[in-house]
Amino acid sequence: MSEDTKVRLSRRQITAALGTSLIAAPFIITRPTWANVQLPVRTPGGSFDEVKKEHVYEPFRKATGIEIIPVPATVAKLLAMHRSGNMEVDLIDTGDDTLLQLDQAGALLPMDYSAFKLTNPDDLDPIVKRKEQVGNFIYAMVMGYHTAAYPTGKEPKSWAEFWDIKAFPGPRTLPDMASGSPNLEFALVADGVAPTNDKIYPLDIDRAFTSLSRVRPAITKFWDTGALSTQMLADKEVVLASLWSTRLGVAIDKGAPLGAQWNQNMVLVQSYGIPKGSKNIDAALKFIDFSLSPDIQSAWMRAYKAIPVNKKSYPATAPELLDPKTKLPWTQGGFRRDIDWWAANRTKVNAVWQKWVLR
Amino acid sequence: MTQRAHRAFDPSLLLLPAFALLILLFVIPLVWFFVGVLAEEGSVGAVVERFVDVLTAPGIVNALVTTNWISALVTVLTLVIGYPIAYYLANSTGWRFALVLFCIIVPYFTSVIVRTYSWMVLLGRNGAINQTLLSLGIIDAPLQLLYNKMGVLIGMTYVLMPYMVLTLYATMRSIDTNLVRAAYGLGASPLYTFRKVYFPLSLHGVISGALIVFILAIGFFITPALMGGPSDVMIAMLIERAVEITLDWTSAAIMSMALLAMTLVLYVIYYRVTDVRRMMGA
Repeated sequence: MSEDTKVRLSRRQITAALGTSLIAAPFIITRPTWANVQLPVRTPGGSFDEVKKEHVYEPFRKATGIEIIPVPATVAKLLAMHRSGNMEVDLIDTGDDTLLQLDQAGALLPMDYSAFKLTNPDDLDPIVKRKEQVGNFIYAMVMGYHTAAYPTGKEPKSWAEFWDIKAFPGPRTLPDMASGSPNLEFALVADGVAPTNDKIYPLDIDRAFTSLSRVRPAITKFWDTGALSTQMLADKEVVLASLWSTRLGVAIDKGAPLGAQWNQNMVLVQSYGIPKGSKNIDAALKFIDFSLSPDIQSAWMRAYKAIPVNKKSYPATAPELLDPKTKLPWTQGGFRRDIDWWAANRTKVNAVWQKWVLR
Repeated sequence: MTQRAHRAFDPSLLLLPAFALLILLFVIPLVWFFVGVLAEEGSVGAVVERFVDVLTAPGIVNALVTTNWISALVTVLTLVIGYPIAYYLANSTGWRFALVLFCIIVPYFTSVIVRTYSWMVLLGRNGAINQTLLSLGIIDAPLQLLYNKMGVLIGMTYVLMPYMVLTLYATMRSIDTNLVRAAYGLGASPLYTFRKVYFPLSLHGVISGALIVFILAIGFFITPALMGGPSDVMIAMLIERAVEITLDWTSAAIMSMALLAMTLVLYVIYYRVTDVRRMMGA
């Protein structure tokens, strides 16, 4: 464009235009769609929401007109919202241990199972049904391995073998305290404790840390986020890892040369809780009921590669999540992380961890 | 501007909005948080006891020492690497100046997480650097460049470099190069000229740059968390864990206060040592 055809704006005009658009921006961007009810839900975000949007949020919107608005918020932020009496989400979708922390701070309402219409509460796995929260899928802490180092079949088959850094050499990663809880359970199992809830809990903290010290020389780094755990394994920064089955499953699906060993897995639960101060309890319950119902669970879990909480959806579970011997989800043979023990002892473990990690 | 015009409008009034914002968005919430969290302890005695407990716990003492040590090393590294870059910038013009400035500024506007992950790709056991050295036959086994103190130092030095370079540049630009020429004219060697003329003139830039980098470094969290090893624990990582994982907000508040106190002490030194107006001026 040549100089004389340019539209010449004075600086004042530009400033005025910029100012106006800045002031107007929030009104344009947040113009509400009055046609629908909106339900702000705390979610983990990322690929979690992408899959859930397609298989749960959208079908739910079509069925009820209620639109799910995913909101990112950490547990500290949710607790701050609760304390300030200004809860900005109507439903919380997060780990069961996190929800228990919120519950113990008095931030959750009781779960009204009688409001369910599409889901029969009796079909739900008993481990996900609690007074103030209900699980929406099950996953596990499993052993992941890089197939270039350990071809499938040659990998460690138990935590005792994972701990045996002579017979199974190579760098490893385990979860850091910063991930929420270090693998004290696996440390005990590796030390000879039977992998069942009644034998593992209450955790013998000293014995667990002594056991962790044995595997420590082979630990390159303790991971604090799920992303880091899969990245280190996929980059062959480590060849063995303890990590979330969902993250590992996604990496394998994307073609990473990794394998999952489900033996002695620790069962984890993703859960719903309704916070005190929720402005739309009815819609929240309607959404919970909908997302736990057999058809939705089947379609969603087939795509997300986790284990349904509704037993009616077991047949639709992705084949790699089923134990070929029993035809049941692998998690049926695992032990369950005791979130009550962790809630009562996390601060204590954190203090021991802080000292131990410096050695 | 005449004396009278000065009196008619006190320019410090211009600071009022910024000052109000600072009080409203920083000071009040901060005091609110500290008081609110510590009030839960009940009595003053209990608060003091918690302070002693938290700040003498071995893990936290160690983290405070590590934080200061790493920050000091990073400050020295940014200074040693940044000084020649700033000198080049201050003494070049045209496209050379633009190119170097661009290289300094662009990373400055990129997210710390992205920059840290990029380093992980380069420094990993099977990363670009190790692969190159291995294929050239310079090393037989991969070097451990990541997940140890070396990784933290590389990452933090890189992230904090622009602060050092730009601060030094601001000072060096105002150095009168005639003084250097005069020194040469009087027969001083380049090294002597640098030692006796140029470096002393750039000294307050060195001190401001070092303090800015150090103050920013002691609050670092993402880079040491991602690139450090298990024992490279900095205080900000423990604060985050207390806030998010154990929900022990009292400990978090006490550790934050310790960090804030360290920052304020350094700021007082910064204020005393540097002539702030000269920094901002020509």
